Amino acid sequence: MSRQAAVDRSRPATGGGSGRWVSTSDRRPPSTGVVVRSTVLVVGAILMLIPIVWAVLSSFKSRTELASRPPSVLPERFGIDNYTGALSSFSFGQYFLNSVIVTVAATVLTLAINSMAAYALAKYNFRGRDFLFLLTLATIMIPLQVILLPVYQVVSSLGLVNSLWGMIIPPAATPTGVFLLRQYMLTLPDDTLEAARIDGAGEFQIFWRIVLPLCRPALAVVAIFSVIWRWNDFLWPLIIAQDESVYTLPVALARFSSQQVVPFNLVLAMSVLSMLPVIILFLLMQRQIVAGIAQTGMK
Amino acid sequence: MSRTTTEQPARRRGRHGGIKGRRLAPYLFVAPNMLIFGLFTIWPALNGFNISFYDSDDGRTFSFVGTDNYADILREDEFWEVVRNTLTFVVAFVAFTTVAAIALSLLLNAQLRGRGILRAAYFLPVLISPIVVGLIWNWALERQVGLVNTVLEAVGLGQPGWLLDPQLAMGSTVLVGLWTHVGFFALILLAGLQAIDPNLNEAAGLDGASAWQRTRHVTLPLLKPTTFVVVILATITGFQAFDFIYTLTGGGPVGATTLIVQNIYEQAFVSPIEYGLASAASVLLFIVIFGVTFANYLFARRADAT
Repeated sequence: MSRQAAVDRSRPATGGGSGRWVSTSDRRPPSTGVVVRSTVLVVGAILMLIPIVWAVLSSFKSRTELASRPPSVLPERFGIDNYTGALSSFSFGQYFLNSVIVTVAATVLTLAINSMAAYALAKYNFRGRDFLFLLTLATIMIPLQVILLPVYQVVSSLGLVNSLWGMIIPPAATPTGVFLLRQYMLTLPDDTLEAARIDGAGEFQIFWRIVLPLCRPALAVVAIFSVIWRWNDFLWPLIIAQDESVYTLPVALARFSSQQVVPFNLVLAMSVLSMLPVIILFLLMQRQIVAGIAQTGMK
Repeated sequence: MSRTTTEQPARRRGRHGGIKGRRLAPYLFVAPNMLIFGLFTIWPALNGFNISFYDSDDGRTFSFVGTDNYADILREDEFWEVVRNTLTFVVAFVAFTTVAAIALSLLLNAQLRGRGILRAAYFLPVLISPIVVGLIWNWALERQVGLVNTVLEAVGLGQPGWLLDPQLAMGSTVLVGLWTHVGFFALILLAGLQAIDPNLNEAAGLDGASAWQRTRHVTLPLLKPTTFVVVILATITGFQAFDFIYTLTGGGPVGATTLIVQNIYEQAFVSPIEYGLASAASVLLFIVIFGVTFANYLFARRADAT
């Protein structure tokens, strides 16, 4: 535990000796300040978590249990009736599959085109490079919310409305992804690339065999954020998915909850299932996610 | 930059090697990204500006109306109500979320046991789909059987209509927004705090400054650049808010929590459709977001200069 804490505390040693972090304070009783801080933090964390924990617990309750007053904390039994019910009475499997397809395909596409563009912008001199880079930066200021209607018109004229491609392709060329990857690629040594060129490697080979493997940390950050964003995305899929057959999970949940024809216990079970993949991803990749967010403030 | 390949003629070259490949390569590399980018961002952005001067009844034939869309939208009471709601939401959301995130990051920055777990707990809502966030809170804030009012009634505080009273609904929307985003902004601030030289705080401590004085006069001023980034990000997030409100209040009661993005969505995609008004509102929203981002850029430059 204390080792974990020491690792957490290690920061870039700015000036002073970093050995200071190995403190002996564990042996002394904690000061009042520490107790107050810890208490505030723990109470706050519990308040933050209550709605989620409550939703997860309630997703096991039957309809009558959910309606009972006062509500019970724990379900009578941890049955999976709601989950099997949700799976069997709606095309829940279909929505889940649609969400997986959109998330995976969009993330792969984003990584592919963003990293190629970033490589060209970082490591080549070509006419129009600075213009393209500035154009990319400038559009960080144009969120999809601002251009919903004209983008929809383009998608519609390409016949992509009501298709998963219509959800996957339009937001794929993320300016932030290009920017982040370009900044990372600038740090790669030119000599390595030049040496490969002398050895006869083609331009794409260099990119694929040398540049991409070296960029793994930056690619991981872009991938994780793409997955979280696409899995939870709502407004764009809502506009594109007009038939139930192409609903993603958030669209299905929003539609069902607003119609109020679907029993709430099933909606809850679906909600909990929809949370799981991203939470599992977070637990596995927590370090990269925290590092990625930390960069946001470090411009 | 020396083009070594040209001077070594006998070397084996890859299929796309050589000067020609090297010249062409960057264009091929940027092409897919720029194609999608141009088709689905640049062109629509220009076109969106253009169609804000047109109107259409069916979405197929458009007729030029000049600045009528803007004149119409600025005359509409409904639009001004949406603007008022949006500004109320953004100001309250940015203020409360930033203050909460600063407090949280200061607390998390201390040497505490189990800090990783606490950090994860505060971050968890960031990961949940806003649609699910809205669903859960809509259920928790239900007047009679909701979790919040069950607890309040048990301690004798009555049953406020969190989502039924217009003002309480706006307050609830702000709080749910805070709940969703505070962990994210706190992590950005935490990174800023960890970049501050601990010696400065220590020196102030040796000079007899109390913990609060050190926070107030050493840490917070040094945290200013990061705080500024957070304020900008929160402002943009606030102006774009839509998803969680869709399932939390649906924009109600009687439009009290209908913000600008929902208004644009409904004008453009839910009947009665008003393409012209939706486009005009979009352009106005863009101007606001652009202004905020540009102000950020100016301030950041000034901060760098000093």
